[in-house]
Amino acid sequence: MVKKAAPVIVLALIALILPVFLRTGFEIDIAVRVLLFAFIGVAWNLMGGYAKQLSLGHAAYFGLGAYTSTILLIKFGVSPWIGLIAGGIVAMLASLPIGWLCFRLRGPYFAIATIATAQVLMLLFLKFRDFAWGAEGTTIPFLGNAPLMMQFSGKAPYYYIALGLLAIGLVVTWAIERSWMGNYLVAVGEDEDAAEAVGVNAPRIKRDIYLISAFLTALAGTFYVQYIYFIDPNTAFSFNVSVEAALVSIVGGIGTLWGPVLGTILLEPTSALLQSLLGASHGGVQLTVYALILIAVILWRPTGLLGLITDAYRRIVRADG
Amino acid sequence: MADVLVVRNLDKRFGGLRAVADLSLSVEEGQTLALIGPNGAGKSTSFNLITGYFRPDSGSVLAFGRELVGLEPYDICAHGLARTFQVARPFGKMTVLENVMTGAFLRDKKVRAARERAREAIAFVGLSAKEETPARDLTTIDQRRLEMARALATEPRILLLDEVMAGLNHTEIDQAVALVGQLAKRGLTIVIVEHVMRAIMAVANRIVVLDHGQKIAEGLPQEVVANKEVIEAYLGTGAHA
Repeated sequence: MVKKAAPVIVLALIALILPVFLRTGFEIDIAVRVLLFAFIGVAWNLMGGYAKQLSLGHAAYFGLGAYTSTILLIKFGVSPWIGLIAGGIVAMLASLPIGWLCFRLRGPYFAIATIATAQVLMLLFLKFRDFAWGAEGTTIPFLGNAPLMMQFSGKAPYYYIALGLLAIGLVVTWAIERSWMGNYLVAVGEDEDAAEAVGVNAPRIKRDIYLISAFLTALAGTFYVQYIYFIDPNTAFSFNVSVEAALVSIVGGIGTLWGPVLGTILLEPTSALLQSLLGASHGGVQLTVYALILIAVILWRPTGLLGLITDAYRRIVRADG
Repeated sequence: MADVLVVRNLDKRFGGLRAVADLSLSVEEGQTLALIGPNGAGKSTSFNLITGYFRPDSGSVLAFGRELVGLEPYDICAHGLARTFQVARPFGKMTVLENVMTGAFLRDKKVRAARERAREAIAFVGLSAKEETPARDLTTIDQRRLEMARALATEPRILLLDEVMAGLNHTEIDQAVALVGQLAKRGLTIVIVEHVMRAIMAVANRIVVLDHGQKIAEGLPQEVVANKEVIEAYLGTGAHA
């Protein structure tokens, strides 16, 4: 037990003291993005990884979380901390009809249908001029250092909020993984018909995990808008969010607790560094290099990179006796 | 003894093909009924109709006096009917124990209780040594064993076995026959689809013979194998001369 918990404690300590060593805004910004996308990946992974329901439309929930809290904040003066939960609830409610429609489809058809749901929401919010600022979007009024309104003068608090979100996502995943629910999710992901033969109510478990996954994804949306002080439909319902959520999980290790975290740690800084190194001089080259890295990882290690790390760790522990 | 499973006038068409035609049969509690017939006779389709994977065009399936037509497979399993598939369908990346726990969770959501129940089922089919083996690494017979254990962990009262002996060698068939015999001895009602006649003669109390979706014979094993129509269905007319 102690041996199992040790690496987690070490990781947590590193994560807690890391801001002390990050000097520039650029560095801490990368760290915040890593934590945020790891969290989105963890939320996606519950459904896409464990139950293999490959959604490419999680931006729908990211955007709903972002818009719910922003509308509450700007129109009604409600703190984003409350908006955070409200956004999660809106996302859960939205996941019910979306799931009802999309879960009729399996495999790639399911993925395509989920893409469509996020796109439809983006188009709707482009039209919502009075209610949600249409295509121009809006900036979030800056109130100075106002922790109760989720606004801070420095970047470190954002880092710790993102870290907290990620911790929540990991604890939820860990608890699900250890329970009957984790077992049912993997069973549905492996073979839905065979799972139903032994009493697994596949439609219900898919609906339930979609609710949880949507809720968590919406939290990330609220946080992101508060972090960048801006919202518009293209940012909130960005297809990139949907893709990143899936990508970090697939690269790190789909259907594993730490896979999305590892995937994000590898991909997010790589992407940011390539952008800053190559983006200015040779536009587009950074995307090519990024794509080549992805292709290499997926060809070389289709089940994700986490397996490599756990194998290595086991070898070290065993060498210690 | 009471009939625990009663199938009445079951009909299923796939386009122009009448896969199951007016099929009626019943199984007494604690008995083993074998469903035999040439390939394409409608045996697996009947299984899929009974266990909710296909909707019949008409007819009814009663288990313990309850109508099953219209229920989903997981509801039917919860009512005490468990099935195996013709081609074993283990959850490949789970271990043997985790596979069987999936079945056990139906009756108890607590991990510890499910694990114990799963271990009993695994011991019963003789897979205890491979509890931690990923299911995809098992041999064919072990995958079949696993499927049986997973079905048994749901605590069924009726077990439907779809060709559990196909592709097994002689020794393995003997082992499988012994296993089915033990299950019957425990009082489980069994419906078995099988091609291996040796196995059927050993385990079945009654046999129903299907051909082209229709029941062409029914009776005790000795009666059925001597039946003229059955021999014709298998070997063609003139073969019994």
